[in-house]
Amino acid sequence: MTQPVAAPPPPAPSAQPAPAQPAPPAKARKGFWPAPTGKPVGAGVEDTPSLLNRLQIIGMAAVLLFGLASGLVQFLSYQSDGRAADDTEQLLRIQEIRSSLLHADAVATNEFLIGGAGDPNLSTDYDESIEDLLKQITAASDAQPADEKALEALVVEISRYTTAVTEARVNSRQGNVLGNGYMSDASALARGNAKAILDNLVEANTERAEDSMGGQHPFWLLLIGVVAAAVLVWISILLASRFRRYVNVGIGVATIIVVVTTLVASVAAWRGASQNDDLLDKELQNAVDQSAARVAGNDAKAYESLRLILQGSGPTYEPLWEDAAAIVEERASRTVLDEWNAYADGHRQIVELDDRDRWFDAKRIAIDTGDEAPTASFDNFDEVSQQVADDNGEITTDELRAGRTLALIGSLLTLVLGFVAAVAVARGLGARRREYA
Amino acid sequence: MSRRHQLFAAVVSAAVLVLGGCGYEDTPVPTPIAEAKYTPGEVTDCNTDPATLLSEPADGTVDPGSTVDRIRREGVLRVGVSADTNLMAARNTQTNRIQGFDIEVVKAIGEAIFGDGFNLNTDVQLRVITAGDRIPLLGGPDAEGETRPAELDLVVRNFTINSCRKEQIAFSAVYYNATQQVLVRAEDADSYDGPESLAGKRVCAPNGSTSLINIEQQQPEAEIVPSVTHTGCLIKFQRDEVDAITGDDTVLAGLAAQDPYAVVPEQIPLNPEPYGVGLPLGDDEFVAFVNYALEQMVASNEWQRAYNTWLADELGAGSPPTAIDPTS
Repeated sequence: MTQPVAAPPPPAPSAQPAPAQPAPPAKARKGFWPAPTGKPVGAGVEDTPSLLNRLQIIGMAAVLLFGLASGLVQFLSYQSDGRAADDTEQLLRIQEIRSSLLHADAVATNEFLIGGAGDPNLSTDYDESIEDLLKQITAASDAQPADEKALEALVVEISRYTTAVTEARVNSRQGNVLGNGYMSDASALARGNAKAILDNLVEANTERAEDSMGGQHPFWLLLIGVVAAAVLVWISILLASRFRRYVNVGIGVATIIVVVTTLVASVAAWRGASQNDDLLDKELQNAVDQSAARVAGNDAKAYESLRLILQGSGPTYEPLWEDAAAIVEERASRTVLDEWNAYADGHRQIVELDDRDRWFDAKRIAIDTGDEAPTASFDNFDEVSQQVADDNGEITTDELRAGRTLALIGSLLTLVLGFVAAVAVARGLGARRREYA
Repeated sequence: MSRRHQLFAAVVSAAVLVLGGCGYEDTPVPTPIAEAKYTPGEVTDCNTDPATLLSEPADGTVDPGSTVDRIRREGVLRVGVSADTNLMAARNTQTNRIQGFDIEVVKAIGEAIFGDGFNLNTDVQLRVITAGDRIPLLGGPDAEGETRPAELDLVVRNFTINSCRKEQIAFSAVYYNATQQVLVRAEDADSYDGPESLAGKRVCAPNGSTSLINIEQQQPEAEIVPSVTHTGCLIKFQRDEVDAITGDDTVLAGLAAQDPYAVVPEQIPLNPEPYGVGLPLGDDEFVAFVNYALEQMVASNEWQRAYNTWLADELGAGSPPTAIDPTS
């Protein structure tokens, strides 16, 4: 391909060696542009081939660096979105571990309250919750090596918890009141070291997910593009002043590639950042809030059972129930609040009866498994809460992964376009070199 | 590849890795929450001298307008009890009924008030209370020094009579002479010879209790391990975190009954803990009536039957205190 020029070649005489006595400089006329000649202005005064070589190196380096840097930033965004999806999944997994542990405790305390041989359905629910919990811990440990040590410590705490629950059940079956002590001790274990470990895991993974979601950099893409375009414009101006040609097509093509690529990449990155912000503020926040509400709800249900197990401990557990209920009301989705309120109404009945020393009646309501009983409303709240958290979490991770392929293609395309622009610069400068020769 | 190129490649690779955030810092593992530290209870000059233990002479007379008359009219006797002090007052997990030696005392008082037609399930409102509730619910000051009207007629909840409490509420005559003793492992029972055997041993009791102060004074080389309750101490005992538990013999008997490897060996008691029925202050007539009911319990041999049923297996033979024994 030949390099097009902005004007026909100048007449041959201008390429002749300079006369011995240089002609007096033409008087510049206002509003007049000298006709392009293709010959460097003041040729012979400066080393034009060297200048062209330098400009070619600078121009090619600028566009190659542009392609590399812009492509790299886009590649990092691609990686970042992938990490954000993984980190979000891990965060939701940790939240589920936390709510599963407290769900297991809510079931264990409610079953213990029944007394005697308990309820086989609740026993099964507890066993399945613990089994799920351990599976989730294994999955979380595989997914994020940085969480491995904390999860190992959590397994130790869960082992202590399940041992205490077993001791409580055995003592209860033998008619020992010591079982009450083991049960309250188990519940305290679920809320002691285990809670501290889970708090750390939630905090670390929230930070990771938020950092990863902030991996879109439209400003840097714009800055890199502007710098590269500025270098090309500077080269164009220098060439125009030297060769009296307005436009160098090669440099022009390179500039257009840089500008268009920058605009497309920046807009895409801006949209990506905006979408991530939306996910962070909406779907992910909904998932996290709903998980927190489920945790608090199960906390409350366990406190209700404990106040009846450790009879006379209402003043200890009721404020804890109220605190947990406040979290549910603040963070739960409206879709589960009806079920929660139905359960909370039942709880108030239990409290009223217990405070009036009608412990049997209070207990009867607390362990009632009927469809209209408060426990049934609580179970619905628990189930729907997990579903809402799962749905929102899935939307978040799907959205994060959906835009990744485009970012990868964009980064590779930018790299290729950087090379194309470099070739255009070389051709543009080559044309001037040929004209000079 | 030249050294310069190799260096460049290394720097670029490192930059990509760093920028890519391929490594995360490990999630910190929190330091395990420390067990509650031993906080010695306040040393007081409260005593259980004979003068402190004196009560109103037993009198079964019921005048119109008296407390007993009111209770009969209302048809309910409101009593504060424990539900987790095994053998004294604990809920039977099979029947869901609260039972034990203290409940037998409540029955005896109920029978004296309501007569032959007395029914524990319908005539008595058993309110499960904590140790801290005992004085405030009888109209005495709470932990902050605030008082409110009495909500209960009686408190029968392993309640030691002492001079300080007697300024806040009224007490019946002593219905059981409890003492502070030590529970040890079955294999240590034969070699246990009082507090000197506890040197270097880990001894548990509720934090802030006078039991721990007594052990500390009598055996400074014992390692004090506090817990929230005596049940918490037994859990520690079963987990081999403590070697011995100290407390009232009745409480220790309740713990030993739940663990075949725990015994309360024969020993010289560390401290007297005379139990009385708590009543609101200033109702001497009602105190006299309760003392009458307690005397009736002894006279009818119900006291001995109750002791043999609930405490004799763990504490050996026992007899009623002279304060409620009409023959003494």
